[in-house]
Amino acid sequence: MTNTPLNVPAAANGTVAVPTQETPADTLLDVQDLTVGFGKVHAVEGVNLSIGQGKIYGLVGESGCGKSTLAYSLLGLVPPPGRVVSGAVRFRGQDLARMSYSELRRLRARHIAVVFQAAMSGFNPVITIGAQVDHLLEAHPDVYENRQEGRKYFEELLHLVRLRPEQVWRTYESRLSGGMKQRIAIAFALLLKPEVLVLDEPTTALDVLSQRLVIDIVRDLHDKLGTTVVFVTHDLAVVAELAERVAVMYAGRLVEAGTVEEIFFDERRHPYVKALISAMPSVVADPASLKSIPGQVPDLNALPPGCRFAPRCALAQAVCHEVEPELRVSAAGHAVSCHVVNGESGEGGGE
Amino acid sequence: MSLLSVDHVSHRYQAARDDRPVLSDVNLEIEPGQTLAVVGESGCGKTTLGRMITGLVQPSAGAVSFEDTDIWKLHGAGFRRYRRSVQLIHQDPYGALNPGLTLEEILSAGLRHHRIVPRREVHGEVHRLLSLAGLDTSRAFLQRYPHQLSGGQRQRLVIARAMALRPSLVVADEPVSMLDVSMRISILDLLKSLGESHGLAYLFISHDFGVVRYFAAGGRIIVMFFGVVVESGPVEEVIANPQHPYTFLLLDAIPEPNPRLARRERSEATRIAAERIEAHPAETGCVFANRCPFVRDRCRAEKPPLQAGGADGHLSACWYPELVPAVTTAAEAMAAAAAAAESAAATAVSQPAVNKATADKGVA
Repeated sequence: MTNTPLNVPAAANGTVAVPTQETPADTLLDVQDLTVGFGKVHAVEGVNLSIGQGKIYGLVGESGCGKSTLAYSLLGLVPPPGRVVSGAVRFRGQDLARMSYSELRRLRARHIAVVFQAAMSGFNPVITIGAQVDHLLEAHPDVYENRQEGRKYFEELLHLVRLRPEQVWRTYESRLSGGMKQRIAIAFALLLKPEVLVLDEPTTALDVLSQRLVIDIVRDLHDKLGTTVVFVTHDLAVVAELAERVAVMYAGRLVEAGTVEEIFFDERRHPYVKALISAMPSVVADPASLKSIPGQVPDLNALPPGCRFAPRCALAQAVCHEVEPELRVSAAGHAVSCHVVNGESGEGGGE
Repeated sequence: MSLLSVDHVSHRYQAARDDRPVLSDVNLEIEPGQTLAVVGESGCGKTTLGRMITGLVQPSAGAVSFEDTDIWKLHGAGFRRYRRSVQLIHQDPYGALNPGLTLEEILSAGLRHHRIVPRREVHGEVHRLLSLAGLDTSRAFLQRYPHQLSGGQRQRLVIARAMALRPSLVVADEPVSMLDVSMRISILDLLKSLGESHGLAYLFISHDFGVVRYFAAGGRIIVMFFGVVVESGPVEEVIANPQHPYTFLLLDAIPEPNPRLARRERSEATRIAAERIEAHPAETGCVFANRCPFVRDRCRAEKPPLQAGGADGHLSACWYPELVPAVTTAAEAMAAAAAAAESAAATAVSQPAVNKATADKGVA
């Protein structure tokens, strides 16, 4: 199955949530065997993931692992020249690749909102923040009875992101600090009451106290509005703070997915995840226990055969250099792709 | 004789929108072979301080002295010696390297300019520097350009370039903050071992207490807020026993890479301070007054001096250090985490225990 994400013609009837196949009731987004390619390079390869309602998901990995590409695929946003090579992303059962432009536009506004990493530069510098709120409300007139109601809700959202409306309403973007702009961007994303909020690196490049504020805000909006949150980060500390479920990517592959407890403490964990956790300096951890991971992330143009982590892995066996491991899911839903951890290395079994 | 000293240095940038000083009355000394860490949020003046020490910015008031001579009064050979002896490692290894030069050209430029080795030995010296920094020394590698290197390799190259001039002081400005997590420890270890083998002194600038605790163990630290040094002392002492509210807040707010520690209650003070994050620094009295959760009248009226607050030259600039709560120590945090895990296990004993059993079956 080969799909181009943005221009498959479909009946533009303006409604999105028409299930085309059965999915468990609480699954909002379902990623099936998704491969996203940029030319011959696959930034995301064969990823399966399902996002259920009302949880906080963390998508973790180092730069170039495909975590942002995966996150943007959830909105049908694969930047050209990238394209979905195979697999699908479904929102409430409906394939994003089969949605019309106007359906996708509605999906992104009303159902899945995103705050980009460079959210601070997404404002119009020559009109006030208040005017930009009005523009958004005009573009989507069906969310609120009238504009006043929408504005009132935006004020509530500003309180949620710890800002006073009078600080923001008649202000131009250039008058706001980076941290304030980012929080206003979160309020904008929530204005049309989406079910899912995607945050790309929400705490990266912020100072420690600003990070704390963003962490508190995300917890709050999740508790008070019940929004499902998917956030992308390279920082395991932020995952430890926020996520209920975690997916770890390495060189385009999903290597482990589970609850935050499983990711940090389970016996059965991916060696990469273990190594990443013991490479994080912290004020509480014993400095003597810190170890860096030897070698470096492989070039996606020249991937090693077998497991992509094998060249850097202390546990690697012969099979790891030959056969790419599959993701094995425990009954509890904890998925790990590793020959050694899954007991597939001893007798060469598990194929 | 100290290697480098900063005496009563204040600085304002001319073009700044407001006329608030970037640095005000900063004093510090670096002894040969010593590590001094500078911690603070973005905009606190720590990068300006680093640039001042490397002679890239001239202070509006006060003096920066290298081996007891004001660096802005150095000329000729004396100035060249200072320039060679004090090297800078930039935060961004992507912007710090000339994209049009090969690795060999990048490393040999300084060697030739400062005539570190005779011309015919330059090639051999480049080899030595590459292996010193843990990089490949093959001929093909030498002919590469910076864009062909990974972030970690670039930072190693920047380190090799700094080492080329045989410095006695290296200013490392956030040397790992732009690198992937898996690379950070190895770069810090490289800097540490070079420091030990070459007797280097470091001015280590960072916003991350975890990184500072790892790198600057046994050294000293200064904590800055809007150009003012609010606390200074031995690294371990300041982290274990902060005497200034700002230091306490920075430590308490740190996200921990351990979900059982991360979700512990942070102090009420941290919550209040996080919400006052947009407050401007105070014009009179204590610079931190507008953001301080423990602020009293005196703080707004009188500027607290940097004075002895704890053991072993531990200084802080706060009128009420007794109000600063104790930080949760590693042992306490671990104990609390263990207790939390136990209670979690107790409440969830019925369901996940079953899952665990089936999980093993599912895997096998």
